[in-house]
Amino acid sequence: MSALVALTIRTMSGTLRDADLLFAVLAPVGCFLGFTLALGNLIDTGLMTYPQYVLPLVLVQAMLFGAMTTADRAARDRLSGFGVRLRTLPIPPMVPLAARMLYCLIRAVIALVAGTGVAWVFGFRLAGGLGYDVLFVLIVLSFAMAVCLGADALGSRIGSVESSSQLLLLPQLVLVLLSTGIAPAESFPAWLDPFVRYQPVSQVTETLRGLAGGQITGLGLAVTTAWCLTLLAVFGCLALRMQRRTR
Amino acid sequence: MPDAAIECHDLAKSFGNSSQALRGVSFAVPRASVCALLGHNGAGKTTTINILSTLVRPTSGSATVAGFDVARQAASVRASIGVTGQYAALDELLTGRENLMLFGRLRGLRHHAARRRADELIERFDMAHAADRRVSTYSGGMRRRIDIAVALVVPPRVLFLDEPTTGLDPRSRRDVWGLVASLRQQDVTVLLTTQYLEEADVLSDSIVVLHSGRIAASGTADELKCRVGVSFCQVTPADPVHLPVIATALADFASSDCDALIDQQAAAVSVPAPDGVVTFGEVFRRLDGLGIELADISLRKPSLDEAFLSLTSAAVTV
Repeated sequence: MSALVALTIRTMSGTLRDADLLFAVLAPVGCFLGFTLALGNLIDTGLMTYPQYVLPLVLVQAMLFGAMTTADRAARDRLSGFGVRLRTLPIPPMVPLAARMLYCLIRAVIALVAGTGVAWVFGFRLAGGLGYDVLFVLIVLSFAMAVCLGADALGSRIGSVESSSQLLLLPQLVLVLLSTGIAPAESFPAWLDPFVRYQPVSQVTETLRGLAGGQITGLGLAVTTAWCLTLLAVFGCLALRMQRRTR
Repeated sequence: MPDAAIECHDLAKSFGNSSQALRGVSFAVPRASVCALLGHNGAGKTTTINILSTLVRPTSGSATVAGFDVARQAASVRASIGVTGQYAALDELLTGRENLMLFGRLRGLRHHAARRRADELIERFDMAHAADRRVSTYSGGMRRRIDIAVALVVPPRVLFLDEPTTGLDPRSRRDVWGLVASLRQQDVTVLLTTQYLEEADVLSDSIVVLHSGRIAASGTADELKCRVGVSFCQVTPADPVHLPVIATALADFASSDCDALIDQQAAAVSVPAPDGVVTFGEVFRRLDGLGIELADISLRKPSLDEAFLSLTSAAVTV
């Protein structure tokens, strides 16, 4: 337990210095301002204000950014002398992974608070009541956990620090840009429609939007929960397996 | 703890199908002694260290460290060892002190104990001036020093040092030597790897020479030198320009496994002198005839370098 705390504190003090925690705050704030100021008057979101519409996507994107830095960190822990030394210490082999995930969770909470905070100023509201608010937070954090586990598995598997986060850049862009997070499905060409509608980023952002507004369909919640749980299970297994690989 | 802090029995390791890093290595290191694994790159030094520090499983054979089996009691082995790799294993974003505290905590010290231990080590390793700077700003020598300090946060029973002085300037190298020498008094058994023959000679009680994954020879530095047997006649000209001329003039003294050796650093030529003073006299007469002015001429026992070359070239033909 103390090893977990020590490693998490190590990551925290490191990322305070390499500015990753600052980026955790700036990314959602910057993205939200960028989307709102640039696209707010261009995209028709019906009765919903654009801040109310776009914040869920900003949060999801911040979680994806977090995953990219996790891939870096996992690759570094795998390859660096530091990581090798960790494997010669009398600590359980899963502790470094657990510490990276704990850091992801902390980073996700910070990003969630920062993004929601700035959107609040522009009129975003959580209007669904306490139960919906709790679900809102749970979904954001479990999505963050899921993508971080996947990125961790990738970073641990890949032999280079430089390429692991680069590899994640493309899927991240595709999932965010081709989703209903920035603009409604009607704005996309018809042939893209099935992908745009049912991919996880669209589903999760739509559910978050519903939870914030207090209107949620059972089916939507079920699909989002299924996405989150499936990703958690699959990526979780992968990440654990990567840690077990010994030569 | 048994008398031998490290025991290897017929360790073998192959990576994939093709490359065999170790082909049956057996040796023992007595408690509180320093043993050097000596060999070229690729001889199997790091693989041996990796197996003994539980990073890599042997393909066959067995080993114990501090009395624990490396395969079946890996956790107990980890609790007994300190490891420094070829490259400093520190968190670059943290200060030296923070690294020391972090590894203290990871080895189970409580916060205050870890802080006290960090203070102690900083003082003992003479790092007070740099302890609160980030490791990324350290020189190679500082980095190595704090790296070794980290491995000693909780005094290990066995310490592995993989090429502890590679890439260090002569002064830092001497610092590290001093550190290793001081460990012997603290009941720490040290297994170090090195390519520097001089280093093995200075630091270790026993030497294991590895060559292509096998043990080419083992023993104390003196034993190894004796095994090569012959004395050398070393000639130092007043002007190093004459080194090649001398080497040519003395070429017929060279034997199959011991060439006439030009040592650029010492600006001298060495040839085997199996007949001792007789050879010495012949060498002197010949060079005197050539009219080359000499700064020094002497008979000496082989250096570890020569012993090493001779031992490993013999091992190839075995």
